[in-house]
Amino acid sequence: MAGPAHPEAMAPPTPGRTRTAPPQMPSTWWSAPRIRTYLLFDATGVIYFLVGFLAIKIVGQLADGPIAWQAQMKALENPLYIAFHVLALASVIFVAVRFFRLFPKAQPPSIGPAKPPPGPVIHAGLYVVWLGLTALISLALAGVIL
Amino acid sequence: MSSNTSSGGQGGPPPAVDKTIIITRFDPDQDEAPRKQEYTVPCEDNWKVLDAVNFIKDEIDPTVSHRWSCRMAVCGSCGMMVNGEPKLTCKTSLKEYGDRVDIEPLANFPVVRDLVVELDGFMHKFESVKPWIKRAKEKAEDKAALHETKLTYTQSAEELADFKQFSMCINCMLCYAACPVVANEPEFLGPAAIALGHRYNLDTRDEGTEERLEIFRGEGTVFSCSYANECSEVCPKNVDPAAAVNQAKFGAVIDWAKGLVLPRAPHAAD
Repeated sequence: MAGPAHPEAMAPPTPGRTRTAPPQMPSTWWSAPRIRTYLLFDATGVIYFLVGFLAIKIVGQLADGPIAWQAQMKALENPLYIAFHVLALASVIFVAVRFFRLFPKAQPPSIGPAKPPPGPVIHAGLYVVWLGLTALISLALAGVIL
Repeated sequence: MSSNTSSGGQGGPPPAVDKTIIITRFDPDQDEAPRKQEYTVPCEDNWKVLDAVNFIKDEIDPTVSHRWSCRMAVCGSCGMMVNGEPKLTCKTSLKEYGDRVDIEPLANFPVVRDLVVELDGFMHKFESVKPWIKRAKEKAEDKAALHETKLTYTQSAEELADFKQFSMCINCMLCYAACPVVANEPEFLGPAAIALGHRYNLDTRDEGTEERLEIFRGEGTVFSCSYANECSEVCPKNVDPAAAVNQAKFGAVIDWAKGLVLPRAPHAAD
Protein backbone atom coordinates (compact mmCIF):
# COMPACT_ATOMS: atom_id res chain seq x y z
CA MET A 1 0.00 0.00 0.00
CA ALA A 2 1.56 3.25 -1.14
CA GLY A 3 0.20 5.58 1.51
CA PRO A 4 -2.86 6.66 3.44
CA ALA A 5 -6.03 6.64 1.36
CA HIS A 6 -7.06 9.82 3.15
CA PRO A 7 -3.98 11.65 4.44
CA GLU A 8 -6.11 14.20 6.25
CA ALA A 9 -7.20 11.41 8.58
CA MET A 10 -3.68 11.26 9.95
CA ALA A 11 -3.11 15.00 10.34
CA PRO A 12 -1.53 15.93 13.67
CA PRO A 13 -3.60 17.88 16.19
CA THR A 14 -4.17 21.52 15.32
CA PRO A 15 -1.81 23.68 17.41
CA GLY A 16 -3.78 25.36 20.18
CA ARG A 17 -3.24 28.68 21.88
CA THR A 18 -1.28 27.10 24.70
CA ARG A 19 1.59 24.70 24.40
CA THR A 20 0.94 21.10 25.40
CA ALA A 21 3.12 18.55 27.12
CA PRO A 22 3.99 15.57 24.96
CA PRO A 23 1.93 12.40 25.50
CA GLN A 24 2.79 10.78 28.82
CA MET A 25 3.23 7.07 29.41
CA PRO A 26 2.75 5.73 32.93
CA SER A 27 6.19 5.06 34.39
CA THR A 28 5.13 1.50 35.22
CA TRP A 29 3.40 0.74 31.92
CA TRP A 30 5.38 -2.50 31.52
CA SER A 31 4.35 -3.87 34.91
CA ALA A 32 0.67 -4.51 34.15
CA PRO A 33 0.15 -8.29 33.80
CA ARG A 34 -1.75 -7.95 30.50
CA ILE A 35 1.00 -5.80 29.00
CA ARG A 36 3.62 -8.31 30.13
CA THR A 37 1.68 -11.08 28.41
CA TYR A 38 1.48 -9.00 25.25
CA LEU A 39 5.21 -8.22 25.40
CA LEU A 40 5.87 -11.94 25.79
CA PHE A 41 3.67 -12.59 22.74
CA ASP A 42 5.63 -10.01 20.74
CA ALA A 43 8.95 -11.43 21.97
CA THR A 44 8.12 -14.85 20.52
CA GLY A 45 8.86 -13.26 17.13
CA VAL A 46 12.58 -13.48 18.05
CA ILE A 47 12.23 -17.24 18.62
CA TYR A 48 10.53 -17.74 15.24
CA PHE A 49 13.29 -15.73 13.57
CA LEU A 50 15.90 -18.01 15.16
CA VAL A 51 13.91 -21.14 14.19
CA GLY A 52 13.77 -19.89 10.60
CA PHE A 53 17.48 -19.12 10.65
CA LEU A 54 18.24 -22.62 12.00
CA ALA A 55 16.01 -24.24 9.37
CA ILE A 56 17.86 -22.42 6.58
CA LYS A 57 21.19 -23.51 8.11
CA ILE A 58 20.06 -27.16 8.26
CA VAL A 59 18.90 -27.08 4.63
CA GLY A 60 22.33 -25.68 3.75
CA GLN A 61 24.01 -28.57 5.58
CA LEU A 62 21.83 -30.98 3.62
CA ALA A 63 23.09 -29.43 0.40
CA ASP A 64 26.68 -29.84 1.62
CA GLY A 65 26.43 -33.62 1.64
CA PRO A 66 25.93 -36.54 4.05
CA ILE A 67 28.90 -35.78 6.33
CA ALA A 68 27.75 -32.20 6.95
CA TRP A 69 24.20 -33.46 7.48
CA GLN A 70 25.26 -36.06 10.04
CA ALA A 71 27.33 -33.45 11.87
CA GLN A 72 24.32 -31.16 12.01
CA MET A 73 22.10 -33.98 13.30
CA LYS A 74 24.68 -34.72 15.99
CA ALA A 75 24.82 -31.03 16.93
CA LEU A 76 21.05 -30.96 17.39
CA GLU A 77 21.44 -33.48 20.24
CA ASN A 78 23.23 -30.79 22.24
CA PRO A 79 21.15 -29.88 25.35
CA LEU A 80 21.21 -26.21 24.30
CA TYR A 81 19.54 -27.05 21.00
CA ILE A 82 17.00 -29.25 22.82
CA ALA A 83 16.25 -26.46 25.30
CA PHE A 84 15.84 -24.04 22.41
CA HIS A 85 13.35 -26.32 20.69
CA VAL A 86 11.39 -26.82 23.91
CA LEU A 87 11.25 -23.02 24.18
CA ALA A 88 10.13 -22.77 20.55
CA LEU A 89 7.39 -25.36 21.15
CA ALA A 90 6.20 -23.46 24.24
CA SER A 91 6.13 -20.25 22.16
CA VAL A 92 4.05 -21.87 19.43
CA ILE A 93 1.56 -23.22 21.97
CA PHE A 94 1.34 -19.84 23.71
CA VAL A 95 0.72 -17.96 20.46
CA ALA A 96 -1.73 -20.56 19.17
CA VAL A 97 -3.80 -20.49 22.37
CA ARG A 98 -3.89 -16.69 22.28
CA PHE A 99 -4.81 -16.68 18.59
CA PHE A 100 -7.57 -19.26 19.11
CA ARG A 101 -9.02 -17.18 21.95
CA LEU A 102 -9.15 -13.98 19.87
CA PHE A 103 -10.01 -15.48 16.46
CA PRO A 104 -13.79 -16.08 16.91
CA LYS A 105 -14.70 -12.46 17.59
CA ALA A 106 -12.74 -11.29 14.54
CA GLN A 107 -15.21 -13.08 12.28
CA PRO A 108 -17.67 -10.83 10.43
CA PRO A 109 -21.26 -11.06 11.70
CA SER A 110 -22.29 -12.41 8.30
CA ILE A 111 -20.86 -13.22 4.90
CA GLY A 112 -23.75 -12.60 2.54
CA PRO A 113 -26.70 -14.53 3.95
CA ALA A 114 -24.47 -16.93 5.92
CA LYS A 115 -23.80 -16.42 9.62
CA PRO A 116 -20.62 -17.81 11.16
CA PRO A 117 -21.02 -20.48 13.84
CA PRO A 118 -21.10 -19.32 17.48
CA GLY A 119 -17.74 -18.27 18.97
CA PRO A 120 -17.32 -21.34 21.24
CA VAL A 121 -17.87 -23.64 18.23
CA ILE A 122 -15.18 -21.82 16.21
CA HIS A 123 -12.89 -21.88 19.26
CA ALA A 124 -13.35 -25.62 19.75
CA GLY A 125 -13.02 -26.24 15.99
CA LEU A 126 -9.60 -24.57 15.95
CA TYR A 127 -8.37 -26.92 18.68
CA VAL A 128 -9.79 -29.96 16.85
CA VAL A 129 -8.01 -28.95 13.62
CA TRP A 130 -4.79 -28.22 15.53
CA LEU A 131 -4.77 -31.53 17.37
CA GLY A 132 -5.80 -33.42 14.22
CA LEU A 133 -2.99 -31.93 12.15
CA THR A 134 -0.49 -32.56 14.95
CA ALA A 135 -1.58 -36.21 15.09
CA LEU A 136 -1.31 -36.57 11.31
CA ILE A 137 2.16 -35.04 11.18
CA SER A 138 3.29 -37.18 14.13
CA LEU A 139 2.04 -40.34 12.43
CA ALA A 140 3.73 -39.33 9.19
CA LEU A 141 7.04 -38.65 10.94
CA ALA A 142 6.78 -41.99 12.77
CA GLY A 143 6.31 -43.74 9.44
CA VAL A 144 2.87 -45.08 10.35
CA ILE A 145 1.28 -43.30 7.39
CA LEU A 146 2.71 -42.10 4.09
CA MET B 1 -8.07 21.06 55.03
CA SER B 2 -11.75 20.58 55.62
CA SER B 3 -13.29 17.18 55.26
CA ASN B 4 -16.66 15.58 55.12
CA THR B 5 -15.51 12.60 57.17
CA SER B 6 -18.28 10.29 58.28
CA SER B 7 -18.63 9.35 61.92
CA GLY B 8 -18.77 5.63 61.21
CA GLY B 9 -20.96 4.72 64.16
CA GLN B 10 -22.54 1.30 64.60
CA GLY B 11 -24.77 0.59 61.61
CA GLY B 12 -23.59 3.75 59.88
CA PRO B 13 -21.26 4.03 56.92
CA PRO B 14 -17.64 2.96 57.48
CA PRO B 15 -15.31 5.78 58.52
CA ALA B 16 -13.41 7.70 55.89
CA VAL B 17 -9.89 6.46 55.25
CA ASP B 18 -7.00 8.75 54.41
CA LYS B 19 -5.40 7.95 51.06
CA THR B 20 -2.55 9.66 49.27
CA ILE B 21 -3.75 10.78 45.88
CA ILE B 22 -0.91 11.62 43.52
CA ILE B 23 -1.98 13.90 40.70
CA THR B 24 0.05 14.76 37.63
CA ARG B 25 0.23 18.53 37.35
CA PHE B 26 1.18 20.57 34.30
CA ASP B 27 0.76 24.29 33.88
CA PRO B 28 1.76 25.23 30.32
CA ASP B 29 2.66 28.74 31.47
CA GLN B 30 5.01 27.64 34.27
CA ASP B 31 6.05 24.00 34.01
CA GLU B 32 8.70 22.68 31.66
CA ALA B 33 7.24 19.19 32.00
CA PRO B 34 4.47 17.47 33.97
CA ARG B 35 5.23 16.87 37.66
CA LYS B 36 3.58 14.95 40.50
CA GLN B 37 1.77 16.46 43.46
CA GLU B 38 0.51 14.51 46.47
CA TYR B 39 -2.69 15.18 48.38
CA THR B 40 -4.01 13.46 51.49
CA VAL B 41 -7.71 12.87 51.04
CA PRO B 42 -10.21 11.39 53.53
CA CYS B 43 -11.94 8.93 51.22
CA GLU B 44 -15.44 7.67 51.92
CA ASP B 45 -16.04 3.96 51.53
CA ASN B 46 -18.35 4.36 48.55
CA TRP B 47 -16.25 6.91 46.66
CA LYS B 48 -15.25 6.58 43.09
CA VAL B 49 -11.85 7.85 41.94
CA LEU B 50 -13.55 10.92 40.48
CA ASP B 51 -14.94 11.79 43.93
CA ALA B 52 -11.40 12.02 45.28
CA VAL B 53 -10.27 14.28 42.42
CA ASN B 54 -13.36 16.45 42.87
CA PHE B 55 -12.66 16.64 46.62
CA ILE B 56 -9.13 17.86 45.91
CA LYS B 57 -10.48 20.45 43.45
CA ASP B 58 -13.26 21.64 45.79
CA GLU B 59 -11.56 21.46 49.18
CA ILE B 60 -7.79 21.42 48.83
CA ASP B 61 -6.47 22.85 45.59
CA PRO B 62 -8.83 24.65 43.19
CA THR B 63 -6.08 24.92 40.57
CA VAL B 64 -6.31 21.21 39.71
CA SER B 65 -7.83 20.82 36.24
CA HIS B 66 -9.74 17.77 35.08
CA ARG B 67 -12.73 16.93 32.90
CA TRP B 68 -15.91 15.35 34.14
CA SER B 69 -19.64 15.72 33.65
CA CYS B 70 -22.30 13.04 34.05
CA ARG B 71 -20.85 10.86 36.86
CA MET B 72 -22.66 7.82 35.44
CA ALA B 73 -20.36 6.47 32.73
CA VAL B 74 -22.30 8.01 29.87
CA CYS B 75 -20.50 11.19 28.84
CA GLY B 76 -17.00 9.70 28.55
CA SER B 77 -15.32 12.84 29.93
CA CYS B 78 -13.51 11.58 33.01
CA GLY B 79 -11.06 9.10 31.54
CA MET B 80 -7.69 9.14 33.34
CA MET B 81 -4.83 6.79 34.07
CA VAL B 82 -5.35 5.29 37.53
CA ASN B 83 -2.30 3.45 38.81
CA GLY B 84 -1.13 3.12 35.23
CA GLU B 85 -4.36 1.81 33.70
CA PRO B 86 -6.91 3.83 31.68
CA LYS B 87 -10.11 4.08 33.70
CA LEU B 88 -13.38 5.92 33.60
CA THR B 89 -12.95 7.53 37.02
CA CYS B 90 -16.66 7.93 37.72
CA LYS B 91 -17.05 4.15 37.38
CA THR B 92 -13.92 3.08 39.22
CA SER B 93 -14.20 2.47 42.94
CA LEU B 94 -11.40 3.80 45.14
CA LYS B 95 -11.72 0.66 47.25
CA GLU B 96 -9.98 -1.26 44.45
CA TYR B 97 -6.75 0.58 45.28
CA GLY B 98 -4.40 0.78 48.22
CA ASP B 99 -3.26 3.77 50.24
CA ARG B 100 -1.57 5.49 47.30
CA VAL B 101 -3.43 6.17 44.10
CA ASP B 102 -1.59 7.64 41.13
CA ILE B 103 -3.81 9.62 38.79
CA GLU B 104 -2.36 10.76 35.47
CA PRO B 105 -3.72 12.18 32.23
CA LEU B 106 -4.66 9.62 29.59
CA ALA B 107 -1.55 8.12 28.01
CA ASN B 108 -0.82 8.72 24.32
CA PHE B 109 -2.47 12.16 24.27
CA PRO B 110 -0.74 15.55 24.50
CA VAL B 111 -1.48 17.19 27.86
CA VAL B 112 -3.18 20.58 27.85
CA ARG B 113 -3.14 21.05 31.63
CA ASP B 114 -2.95 18.68 34.62
CA LEU B 115 -5.37 15.83 33.78
CA VAL B 116 -6.82 17.46 30.68
CA VAL B 117 -5.66 16.08 27.34
CA GLU B 118 -5.74 17.45 23.81
CA LEU B 119 -8.67 16.05 21.79
CA ASP B 120 -8.12 17.59 18.35
CA GLY B 121 -6.25 14.65 16.84
CA PHE B 122 -8.78 12.17 18.20
CA MET B 123 -11.74 14.14 16.86
CA HIS B 124 -10.04 14.48 13.49
CA LYS B 125 -9.59 10.71 13.29
CA PHE B 126 -13.22 10.19 14.24
CA GLU B 127 -14.44 12.53 11.53
CA SER B 128 -12.21 10.90 8.92
CA VAL B 129 -14.14 7.59 8.97
CA LYS B 130 -17.35 9.47 8.01
CA PRO B 131 -19.38 8.30 10.99
CA TRP B 132 -22.80 8.99 9.60
CA ILE B 133 -25.22 7.16 7.33
CA LYS B 134 -24.24 7.81 3.75
CA ARG B 135 -26.86 7.33 1.05
CA ALA B 136 -26.47 7.62 -2.68
CA LYS B 137 -28.74 10.24 -4.21
CA GLU B 138 -32.35 9.45 -3.36
CA LYS B 139 -33.75 7.20 -6.01
CA ALA B 140 -37.37 6.52 -6.87
CA GLU B 141 -36.99 2.85 -6.03
CA ASP B 142 -35.64 3.82 -2.58
CA LYS B 143 -39.11 4.94 -1.64
CA ALA B 144 -40.21 1.33 -1.73
CA ALA B 145 -37.81 0.65 1.14
CA LEU B 146 -39.23 3.46 3.26
CA HIS B 147 -41.64 2.78 6.07
CA GLU B 148 -45.09 3.82 4.79
CA THR B 149 -46.01 6.23 7.54
CA LYS B 150 -42.74 7.13 9.25
CA LEU B 151 -40.76 7.68 6.04
CA THR B 152 -37.70 6.04 7.56
CA TYR B 153 -35.66 3.08 6.43
CA THR B 154 -36.67 -0.04 8.29
CA GLN B 155 -34.19 -2.41 9.87
CA SER B 156 -34.77 -5.78 11.49
CA ALA B 157 -33.72 -6.54 15.06
CA GLU B 158 -31.27 -9.08 13.67
CA GLU B 159 -29.67 -6.45 11.41
CA LEU B 160 -29.43 -4.06 14.34
CA ALA B 161 -27.81 -6.73 16.49
CA ASP B 162 -24.94 -7.00 13.99
CA PHE B 163 -23.63 -3.54 14.89
CA LYS B 164 -25.39 -2.39 18.06
CA GLN B 165 -22.45 -3.31 20.27
CA PHE B 166 -20.16 -1.03 18.24
CA SER B 167 -22.57 1.90 18.53
CA MET B 168 -22.32 1.97 22.34
CA CYS B 169 -19.00 3.85 22.31
CA ILE B 170 -19.00 6.98 24.51
CA ASN B 171 -15.75 8.41 23.04
CA CYS B 172 -13.96 8.19 26.37
CA MET B 173 -10.61 7.52 24.61
CA LEU B 174 -9.51 4.85 27.09
CA CYS B 175 -8.86 2.52 24.16
CA TYR B 176 -6.38 5.00 22.66
CA ALA B 177 -4.60 5.32 26.00
CA ALA B 178 -4.32 1.52 26.25
CA CYS B 179 -3.33 0.77 22.66
CA PRO B 180 0.36 -0.14 22.21
CA VAL B 181 0.08 0.65 18.49
CA VAL B 182 -1.12 4.22 19.19
CA ALA B 183 1.81 4.56 21.60
CA ASN B 184 4.26 3.66 18.82
CA GLU B 185 2.40 5.16 15.86
CA PRO B 186 0.48 8.28 16.97
CA GLU B 187 -0.95 8.58 13.45
CA PHE B 188 -2.73 5.20 13.79
CA LEU B 189 -6.44 5.74 13.19
CA GLY B 190 -7.12 3.90 16.43
CA PRO B 191 -9.70 1.55 17.95
CA ALA B 192 -12.70 3.82 18.57
CA ALA B 193 -12.62 5.51 15.15
CA ILE B 194 -12.28 2.20 13.31
CA ALA B 195 -15.03 0.64 15.45
CA LEU B 196 -17.32 3.54 14.62
CA GLY B 197 -16.57 3.32 10.89
CA HIS B 198 -17.17 -0.43 11.04
CA ARG B 199 -20.46 0.17 12.86
CA TYR B 200 -21.71 2.19 9.85
CA ASN B 201 -20.34 -0.39 7.42
CA LEU B 202 -22.52 -2.99 9.13
CA ASP B 203 -25.59 -0.75 9.09
CA THR B 204 -27.99 -1.94 6.38
CA ARG B 205 -29.19 1.64 5.78
CA ASP B 206 -25.72 2.84 4.86
CA GLU B 207 -24.16 2.96 1.40
CA GLY B 208 -20.74 4.31 2.31
CA THR B 209 -19.02 1.00 2.99
CA GLU B 210 -16.73 1.05 -0.05
CA GLU B 211 -15.56 4.55 0.77
CA ARG B 212 -14.76 3.63 4.37
CA LEU B 213 -13.06 0.40 3.32
CA GLU B 214 -10.87 2.49 1.02
CA ILE B 215 -9.84 4.43 4.12
CA PHE B 216 -9.32 1.19 6.06
CA ARG B 217 -7.05 -0.17 3.34
CA GLY B 218 -4.76 2.86 3.73
CA GLU B 219 -1.61 3.07 5.82
CA GLY B 220 -1.98 3.51 9.58
CA THR B 221 -5.44 1.99 9.76
CA VAL B 222 -6.77 -1.52 10.35
CA PHE B 223 -3.66 -3.38 9.22
CA SER B 224 -1.49 -1.50 11.72
CA CYS B 225 -3.42 -3.22 14.52
CA SER B 226 -1.46 -6.08 16.08
CA TYR B 227 -4.53 -7.35 17.94
CA ALA B 228 -3.14 -6.70 21.40
CA ASN B 229 -6.79 -6.57 22.51
CA GLU B 230 -5.95 -3.94 25.14
CA CYS B 231 -8.65 -1.61 23.77
CA SER B 232 -11.33 -4.19 24.51
CA GLU B 233 -9.88 -4.97 27.93
CA VAL B 234 -10.19 -1.36 29.09
CA CYS B 235 -13.44 -0.40 27.33
CA PRO B 236 -15.94 0.61 30.04
CA LYS B 237 -18.94 -0.06 27.78
CA ASN B 238 -17.92 -3.51 26.42
CA VAL B 239 -17.85 -2.17 22.87
CA ASP B 240 -15.02 -4.59 21.99
CA PRO B 241 -13.22 -2.33 19.51
CA ALA B 242 -10.60 -5.04 18.87
CA ALA B 243 -13.35 -7.21 17.38
CA ALA B 244 -14.47 -4.31 15.18
CA VAL B 245 -10.94 -3.56 13.97
CA ASN B 246 -10.28 -7.17 13.08
CA GLN B 247 -13.66 -7.62 11.42
CA ALA B 248 -12.86 -4.48 9.45
CA LYS B 249 -9.58 -6.09 8.35
CA PHE B 250 -11.57 -8.99 6.95
CA GLY B 251 -13.97 -6.61 5.20
CA ALA B 252 -11.10 -4.58 3.72
CA VAL B 253 -9.44 -7.71 2.31
CA ILE B 254 -12.69 -9.02 0.79
CA ASP B 255 -13.42 -5.60 -0.71
CA TRP B 256 -9.88 -5.39 -2.12
CA ALA B 257 -10.28 -8.85 -3.71
CA LYS B 258 -13.69 -7.91 -5.14
CA GLY B 259 -12.14 -4.77 -6.59
CA LEU B 260 -9.77 -6.91 -8.65
CA VAL B 261 -12.61 -8.51 -10.59
CA LEU B 262 -15.56 -6.12 -10.29
CA PRO B 263 -15.75 -2.42 -11.22
CA ARG B 264 -16.13 -0.14 -8.19
CA ALA B 265 -19.37 1.80 -7.80
CA PRO B 266 -19.18 5.60 -7.39
CA HIS B 267 -19.10 6.77 -3.75
CA ALA B 268 -22.29 7.85 -2.05
CA ALA B 269 -22.62 11.58 -1.54
CA ASP B 270 -21.69 13.04 1.89
